[in-house]
Amino acid sequence: MEVAEEAGEAVLAYALAAIADEGAGAGETAAALAALCDVLALSGPDLILAIPSARLAKRLPKLVAASAAGDGDGDVPLLAARAMAEACEGAPPWAARFAQHGAVEALRDRLLAVDCIELAEECLRALDTISTECPDECLKRGVAAAVLQFFDFFSTNKQKVALQIVSNIFNDYDEEDVPTVMEAVPALCNLLQSSDKTILESAISCLALVAAGASENAEHMGKLCEANAVEATMSLMGNEGWKSLSDDILTGILGLLKNLASISEKAVESLFKLDFCELFKQMVTYYSSSNRDNDKVQMLVELIYQLMLPLGASEQHAKLVTAKKNVIMAQSTYMNQLASIFSLMVQVAKCAALSSICYNCIAVISNIVELSTPDFLMELQNTVNLSSFLNFLLARKNRHIIFQALKISRTLLEKCQQFFLETFTKEGVKHSIDSIVSHEKNSSHQSKRKNNMNESCLCFDLESSSTGEVCRVESNAVMKLAEDIKKSFFSVKGSKRSPHRLGFALKSFRDFFVRLNVHATTPPTENPDSCKQLTDLSRRLLSDELPVTSTFEFVQSGSIKCLSIYLSNGAYGNTGISDGQDLLGHLSEVQSRLQKFASLALTVPNDSSANPLEILVEKLLDTLQMCYDSFPVMLSDEQSTHESMMIPLRYPETQELKSLELKFRRSQREKELRNYNDVLSVDLFSTPDAIEPVLFPEICRRTDQEHAPKNSNRENEASGSTKLDDGNRSSKLRFLYNGVILQPSTTFFESILRLMNKGQSDLLIDPSFWDEEHYITYRKRNKSKEISSESSHNIQLSHVQENLQQAWLKDPFFTALLLGKLPGDLDGSDPSYDLLFMLKLLEGLNRFSYQLLMGEQISKFAEGTLQDIDDLKVAIYPVPQHQFMSSILTNKLELQMQDSLFEGGLIPSWCVYLIETCPFLLSFDTRWKYFCLTAHRSFMTDQVNNFPDQVNNIFDQVSGHSDQVKCPPQTKKYRVSRSAILEGAVSMMTNHGPSSRIVEVEFEGEVGTGRGPTFEFYTTVSHELQRAGLGMWRGDNCEDGFIHASFGLFPKPWSPSGTPGIDFSNVLQKFKLLGHLVVRAVLDGRILDIPLSKAFYKIMLEQELDMYDIPSFDPELGKTLIEFQALVNKKKFLETSSTTSKHTAVLSYKNVKLEDLCLDFTLPGSPEYELIPGGSQKMVTLDSLEEYVYLVVDATLKSGIAKQIEAFKSGINEVFALKTLKMFTEEEMERILCGEQDSWALKNLEDHMEFEHGYDMSSPSIITFLEILREFGREEQRAFIQFTTGAPQLPLGGLALLEPKLTVVRKQGDGNVDDELPSVNTCRHFIKLPPYSSKEIMREKLKYAITEGLGSFHLS
Amino acid sequence: MALRRIIKELKDLQRDPPTSCSAGPVSDDMFHWQATIMGPSDSPYSGGVFLVTIHFPPDYPFKPPKVVFKTKVFHPNINSNGNICLDILKDQWSPALTISKVLLSICSLLTDPNPDDPLVPEIAHMCKTDRLRYESTARGWTHKYAMG
Repeated sequence: MEVAEEAGEAVLAYALAAIADEGAGAGETAAALAALCDVLALSGPDLILAIPSARLAKRLPKLVAASAAGDGDGDVPLLAARAMAEACEGAPPWAARFAQHGAVEALRDRLLAVDCIELAEECLRALDTISTECPDECLKRGVAAAVLQFFDFFSTNKQKVALQIVSNIFNDYDEEDVPTVMEAVPALCNLLQSSDKTILESAISCLALVAAGASENAEHMGKLCEANAVEATMSLMGNEGWKSLSDDILTGILGLLKNLASISEKAVESLFKLDFCELFKQMVTYYSSSNRDNDKVQMLVELIYQLMLPLGASEQHAKLVTAKKNVIMAQSTYMNQLASIFSLMVQVAKCAALSSICYNCIAVISNIVELSTPDFLMELQNTVNLSSFLNFLLARKNRHIIFQALKISRTLLEKCQQFFLETFTKEGVKHSIDSIVSHEKNSSHQSKRKNNMNESCLCFDLESSSTGEVCRVESNAVMKLAEDIKKSFFSVKGSKRSPHRLGFALKSFRDFFVRLNVHATTPPTENPDSCKQLTDLSRRLLSDELPVTSTFEFVQSGSIKCLSIYLSNGAYGNTGISDGQDLLGHLSEVQSRLQKFASLALTVPNDSSANPLEILVEKLLDTLQMCYDSFPVMLSDEQSTHESMMIPLRYPETQELKSLELKFRRSQREKELRNYNDVLSVDLFSTPDAIEPVLFPEICRRTDQEHAPKNSNRENEASGSTKLDDGNRSSKLRFLYNGVILQPSTTFFESILRLMNKGQSDLLIDPSFWDEEHYITYRKRNKSKEISSESSHNIQLSHVQENLQQAWLKDPFFTALLLGKLPGDLDGSDPSYDLLFMLKLLEGLNRFSYQLLMGEQISKFAEGTLQDIDDLKVAIYPVPQHQFMSSILTNKLELQMQDSLFEGGLIPSWCVYLIETCPFLLSFDTRWKYFCLTAHRSFMTDQVNNFPDQVNNIFDQVSGHSDQVKCPPQTKKYRVSRSAILEGAVSMMTNHGPSSRIVEVEFEGEVGTGRGPTFEFYTTVSHELQRAGLGMWRGDNCEDGFIHASFGLFPKPWSPSGTPGIDFSNVLQKFKLLGHLVVRAVLDGRILDIPLSKAFYKIMLEQELDMYDIPSFDPELGKTLIEFQALVNKKKFLETSSTTSKHTAVLSYKNVKLEDLCLDFTLPGSPEYELIPGGSQKMVTLDSLEEYVYLVVDATLKSGIAKQIEAFKSGINEVFALKTLKMFTEEEMERILCGEQDSWALKNLEDHMEFEHGYDMSSPSIITFLEILREFGREEQRAFIQFTTGAPQLPLGGLALLEPKLTVVRKQGDGNVDDELPSVNTCRHFIKLPPYSSKEIMREKLKYAITEGLGSFHLS
Repeated sequence: MALRRIIKELKDLQRDPPTSCSAGPVSDDMFHWQATIMGPSDSPYSGGVFLVTIHFPPDYPFKPPKVVFKTKVFHPNINSNGNICLDILKDQWSPALTISKVLLSICSLLTDPNPDDPLVPEIAHMCKTDRLRYESTARGWTHKYAMG
């Protein structure tokens, strides 16, 4: 080595000398240069830097330029350039040295001379580094243009280098250099046609740099436009091109367009010409859906904002503003383009989870409004209710948003005073402005100023450099504007009519609820007239007036509260149930009120398509948007990116968790406890509840030392109270921050953050937050009676509920209604509380609509208003579940989940609360994402021990853990034999089912591994579990083949005396296996092919089942049981209402005496299953019917399947807590386990159907029909199967095994074909399809036919 | 339970047999019966004797019995396999119904076919458009297959 080094030094010395010798011949110089290059290429930076610089730096540029002058060897410049490149690359300081001595010009000239490509490319190499080191020098010498001059001749690699040079040069240039920069622009624009992605990308980013630097200079921006920069970029984006562009390119383009639009009216015009608004609509819709990319939305909105500046924004731009205005006004189509994005802007502003996006949208809206003529405004008003929108905005806390909203209000009033004064009154804008004025006047100045200091400024501006001042919206601007509006518009006129209008709506609502509550006290039977009157009134209110009532009126009328109070029988709004109250009486009153309300809310009035419930829910969700600030998103500056969240995370990111410095101080009022005065560093998960046991002994012990004599007493008292309070976690200490009591179960972190940022919509975490010490005051807590009495109520209530049979009476929604409060310690004074309560209630009501309405029917039958037991059916039209989803909350949670804090486990309490209590408000995708991100926390503890880096116990985290590498979920392979697949599956799942690793399967004797065989394994095992003779499922009558459960599989009750030929422990083992399979399906994203019934999914989700669930898997039995129950109720009613028992004697079941039915006390279908000891000998009579129904239901849903369910659940619970799945519905659970596709998704659908009577395979109608069928989703497929075969599930094997085959025949009526509906014969699996004139009509008619049937699916 | 009920129905049938039909178990298996139906006199099936099989499900009477014609019948609601499309044998079944009532319903179906909801559309079509031809064909089939 040493020898080599020495040799190197010698060569270097020789080369340097030779190069320096100006008199040397070209050949000699070339040889020396070559030697130098070799040495440089091999040397490290230190060595290169050590080379004496002065002469070499002077000489090399000259040599590069040399041949231009003389007739020397062509190699010299090439080698000289190479030497420069080597030197610069090896040691960047050389770049500056060369640049000092004219290297830049020399290289540039060489590039322009382009006598040899090899040489030019060497020049590029050298310039690459030089341009990084001395961009200014390069810029001034016109390198950018030179580099691009012969761009096409370079190899692709060198082209990239060239663009890199350009972007180096353009990065942050001075204004005076703009002309030089512009020289390169045409060439850059040409490059936008390039097909190479990286070139395109670099060219765009160069242009973006150009635009960013020249943004002040209209003339030059105009030049950019002349170079067709707008057209070129737009052509890239058109035709959905933007979807395939990389993130960086798109960001570059948007920045470029924004800068262009901001300064040049020509660019604006080009954008309008190219219909940018349409593109904008597509992009915003795409990026804003489920918060896909907030930054993009922001950029897009800013860009649109630049298309039209607010008139009179600032003096210096007045000309530009007018120019842009003229552009837009010149063409009416441009204005229409803007109108087309108007409602989208409103939509985004309403649902945006980020205040900044909301603000930007409003700014755009404000601009559009400014530009509009009064007539045009009225047109806009037709598409969007502006006043209602403004009122939403005025309800926000953010000052910027309010200010902007006030500005729009003023503009609107200026343009059409008459109209907007009226709607402002109706929609509450006037009210809001009034209250802003009066509130700001009253509020003390100190607190106001403090809030203002905290709020981050949202303004974005065209003149970014000139906005030196902190914020354009000064602290008192809001009030000034509000006062101004009030003075100039509200006091003038219009006050005569408006209050009357508002008063009317309010009055009719109040009146209604007063009557309702009066009505509630008199039993309906006593006064049928008033009952009918009330029904009419409520119908009018719910279906005629509610839709036209403004959200403001809806809120102001207090109808939500009134309704809650009415339905909860007064429990709502009070402290819950009062002590002496008769719990059972209360329960039955609430029950009957809810039933009455349900039948009212769920009936569709003749002439309208929506039922009142739907309208009510929509209103509530609308109103919920006004509670934007109740759900603050916590944002640290880091974003976490999880591109595809298809399977749950196994391990939390092991990032270093921050901790919080808390300084605990004794409250001034606190006399008993000692001061602590130490700073505790706690982890972010710490709650007051968790800190208390740590802190309490500290402060107590010292107290004890001080007051030694009293000590024993107090000690006893303290320990005594601990024991008492154990049950309800009631704490001994109260913690306060800034004088506000902290919620014991909310983390310190969140509480402090919320209190610090009071008055703001988003909680942005300032970096200084982590360094600060936060002062927490504590004091001893007075033991409160409320909690204990409340909890005793809860205990009592759960006792009462336990004995009830109907499932809906045990559902959380009903418990909430009974107690008049939502579960958990939610702040009842928050504006969102009423809404959440009502939504929870309505969602429950909707979910149980069948049960509620059927219950109502049964009591009608019992009371005699309904004569025929055959009429005991209801058609239900429940509100689709997705209509309960709140887009704003979904967006907020999505945003929260994108923050890196979330993954670390810092979940704001409102997220947890919504997921647990009101999951229906969030979209399925969002909940699934939430589940995936949090699932690892629900893994069972022994799992955690296997993976020590996964910290489960939150208190352990204070100790800090080493920064381990993030480990991806590992894969565990397992081998099974096809011949004994069930046994193999059982043993594999017993060993590996509980693993939190991903499980993969390969078959014995086969080579395939990975996805394919694993999926096949799950499919095969789920089929095997449906084999007849296993004794697992209902309908299994020990035949061969597979069970066809046309309504889905449900466990078969297991008789205590057993079934011959089947070992019960085997059955249990298989249920446990099923539990394991479910776990794997959820965790590994596997798909099971097993048609479980809805009722079984309910069990999985730990919901209560009752008699009304039986029809969903066994319609015949269910129907009869419900009829029996009706008979029982009738008998009871007759017995209590009349003194003679004669009436009951004539009671019969469909004119047959019960004894004649010849039923004994065994389970239907299982003569060996005795419901009571000796049941096979005991006959069912009218008197024992009630007991019989109870026992059959109990055996079918509970006692008969308890062990199987227990085994199934234990399979799941071995891996993770079953209850975490509760956030999903039955349908969603099925979607998770069984995937989207149903079993009929066969490639050749037509092979399994027959076409007759005027149709054959090639009939146009049949081709269309098959197309439509293939496009159906799972639910539609199921509805179609139900429609044509009478049952929602196909046999295993799908359509192919349907017997008889599904047959399509032509239906030709007398009238117009398109007016007819398809009909079916379910006996024969016939579908009679009219030859519709178009695919759209056929699809519409088919959908109508199949869904219409579903409404009355139960008991038709 | 099912067995007890089936035995009761059998006893009732024996004690009070319906005029136009008879029924009873094929062998020892009480869940498998056979029945004969006399073609109603005011119908094209008059004079015929039709054989049907009856299968009781284990959860009888909560589920309907399976009734199938063994004798070939030309009827819009009965197909060539002998399957009958009758609402009380499907979703309109109720435990209050008995075999005797089912057989009577089948008798009246023979008298009054329901061509508007057919199982065999060809026969239904004929029944609606060319009543005479339908009746003569039905009579022909009755002679051929049901008068053995």
